[in-house]
Amino acid sequence: MMRTERIRLLAVGGGGAAFLIAAIIFLLAIGRPPLTTLGQMTLYAFGDGYSLSESLVKATPILLCALAVILPARLGLITVGGEGQLYIGALTGTAVVVTFPHGPLVLLLPAMLAAGAIGGGLWSGAAGLLRARCNVNETISTLLMNYVAVQLVNYVIYGAWKDPGSLGWPASIAFPPAATVPSLMGTRVHVGLIVGVIAAIVLHVGVTYTRWGIALKVLAGNRKVGAMAGFSFVRQTLLVMAIGGALAGFAGICETSAIQGRLQAGLSVGYGLTGFLVAWLSGQHFLRAVPIAILIGGLIAAGDALQLYSKIPSASATILQGLLFVAALGASGLAGRRIARHG
Amino acid sequence: MTAPLASLSAIRKTFGAVVANDDVSLEIRAGEVLALLGENGAGKSTLMKILYGFYQPDGGTLHVDGAQVAFASPREAMARGIGMVFQQFSLIPALSVLENLLAALPDAPWLQRRSSTLVTTAQRWLRQLAPDLDPDRPVRNLSVGERQLVELARVLNLDARVVILDEPTSVLTPGETERLYGFIRSLAAQGKAVVLITHKLADVAACADRIVVMRGGRVVDRAATRDRTAAQLIEAMVGRGAVGSLEPPEPPSRNVPKLIVRDLAAVVQERSIRNVAFELAAGEILGVAGVSGNGQFALAETLAGLVPVSSGDIVLDGIDIASRSADGSISADIAYIPERPLDNAVVADLDLALNLSLREIGDLPFFPSRRTSERRAVDLIARYDVRPPRPRLQASLLSGGNLQKLVIARELSGKPQLVIACYPTMGLDVLAAQAVYRELFRHAAEGACVVWISEELDDLLSYAHRIAVMHDGEFAGIVRREHADRQVLGRWMAGAAVEAA
Repeated sequence: MMRTERIRLLAVGGGGAAFLIAAIIFLLAIGRPPLTTLGQMTLYAFGDGYSLSESLVKATPILLCALAVILPARLGLITVGGEGQLYIGALTGTAVVVTFPHGPLVLLLPAMLAAGAIGGGLWSGAAGLLRARCNVNETISTLLMNYVAVQLVNYVIYGAWKDPGSLGWPASIAFPPAATVPSLMGTRVHVGLIVGVIAAIVLHVGVTYTRWGIALKVLAGNRKVGAMAGFSFVRQTLLVMAIGGALAGFAGICETSAIQGRLQAGLSVGYGLTGFLVAWLSGQHFLRAVPIAILIGGLIAAGDALQLYSKIPSASATILQGLLFVAALGASGLAGRRIARHG
Repeated sequence: MTAPLASLSAIRKTFGAVVANDDVSLEIRAGEVLALLGENGAGKSTLMKILYGFYQPDGGTLHVDGAQVAFASPREAMARGIGMVFQQFSLIPALSVLENLLAALPDAPWLQRRSSTLVTTAQRWLRQLAPDLDPDRPVRNLSVGERQLVELARVLNLDARVVILDEPTSVLTPGETERLYGFIRSLAAQGKAVVLITHKLADVAACADRIVVMRGGRVVDRAATRDRTAAQLIEAMVGRGAVGSLEPPEPPSRNVPKLIVRDLAAVVQERSIRNVAFELAAGEILGVAGVSGNGQFALAETLAGLVPVSSGDIVLDGIDIASRSADGSISADIAYIPERPLDNAVVADLDLALNLSLREIGDLPFFPSRRTSERRAVDLIARYDVRPPRPRLQASLLSGGNLQKLVIARELSGKPQLVIACYPTMGLDVLAAQAVYRELFRHAAEGACVVWISEELDDLLSYAHRIAVMHDGEFAGIVRREHADRQVLGRWMAGAAVEAA
């Protein structure tokens, strides 16, 4: 046990060191002072209240999309559909807003959020149904459904829902205050973050300490034996896919309502796939996903800030993000092999 | 006397605090069959896995052809002509029999041609070992007995000079076992060295030249086969005098049928059963014999209610339990010990406590208590002697025999009305097998019907009340033990019609 813990710690340290070295080489290569730039990035990410809040804004959809990957992974399913579920959640949530733009807050806001979650849940549940009933590979189906989801959003914002007042800009009407997700303490951080953290805790408790968690573990390990014990793979697949999709869909409508203010193209900058990577980085662990999502959110926010203030292309942040993922996954993979070999 | 082909001297191997081998020395000679005899956990397999390069010893040396060697992997051992057939199979289920043989070759051809010499050599071994086996069948459709033979063919195809067999007869039919004995003798006659890891005296008597008996990780006796009696060997193995004999269970007192199976037909994993019909009284034990792969698995799964039936009834205590739309769940009245427990009975990557609680899982509270399940597991583990006795151990780390005990602990600790046991003593030594039989007979004595699928014909003939023989998905015959005759059973197994009796 002690040994395993030590290897894990070493992996975190080693992954961090590998990332730093790679980042320094990259920054030198593009002709930037590496240490100053990295220091700046840290400041832009977490240096003051504003930076921190922007990092948390980015972290919110990433966290929710990571949860949407982790839960199915507990049943042995690999989904990459966070992006599509996020878009569909934005779409169905917006549908409520464009239908009842003058609805009262107490009805409109909950209805919008619920519609977003239900939309994402059904979208993801469809992939779950295909997997459970027809044995269609969920990784492929969720991947392909991402493209459909993005195009569906494009279809409505270029067509039926295009705001005539937006002078040709493809976007829905601006969300009224009654359909705006409340933000926290005057920042852009919104309640989606709180929902994400609470969901992470609830799901963690659910899969770790309940009979439902045992059902997932047993079915993931041996579906036949799980069925003998009375667990239904079909039901659990639908359940985890729908809950995951609902979380990602909720992220989509929150992002649209609180951050963008209207449904428009490019509402997600790859949050779904970043969430997938965060899920893997966390070792499919709900609680670990929270700090990792915040870290990655910080990196993205810092990238935006760097572009603004230091004239470094924001693609650099994406590259640094990639380096971080590779270093961390590589280190944890090596650690896993050492633990497996020497137990 | 010739120099040994391979020798192990003063081998020591520990796993954590457990000493698996302690100062073990052994010589393996060409042209000789060496029986490595001992109970489960005596350290036989570990010792041979060291020679095979699977484990590295903590102390001691290995010599092959007189030169000291250290194998870092089985591949290196194989390059020196040492091959091992494992108790737990290492075949790739998705590949065909022939593909498995070819894939094991160190220089496996990238492009596989039907006519190459590699293919013909592989086919020759297969024909010698298992003439009825279609080389193009995928391994996942083979029975355990057939897989074992393919494993052996795979090792021989690698041109091994030392062939190590780990409990090879535990999954074979009498016919297959006889053929294997003959084959082992002919390998020795060809100048190969054969090491037979076994706990069965029948194996030793049939083909060993020399015996080394292990107990608790040490060698406790070594002798030529002709110098030892069965009683001496058992005493050396068990270390506490002769094993007590087991009383055959009482025949059922009242001949009222409790289980009625009528005209049963089903298809399970491309194997079908048809026209299966029998009745069992409370307390009656039906032994089901037959060459493996003749529908035993389909019969067991169907009786357990795990798969939909195509036709027919299974009536237990007046209730038809044959399911036509099975969801794969098992009734609380039925205890089921399936074949290949790793695939069919346990969740390998979860711990023993959880695996033991699978039958009660529906009754657990929403927040189950770990402590309760572990306390229960500790009791069951002690009662059924699962080793090592650690409830939090991952099930995949148990040996084959202990995995079997784990499943038996879970299934037979309740109060079932119907017990379906497939090869329940597979991988178990004499004492452990007797303990399992006692459990089976206890349930019969308490009034359960027992369907006992086995390839241990001797045991069936000693203990089952009636014996049915399965052939090609049907009962070729069914007979009371008193009237059973080995020749007739053998003919039924081979597919002769019932009137031959």
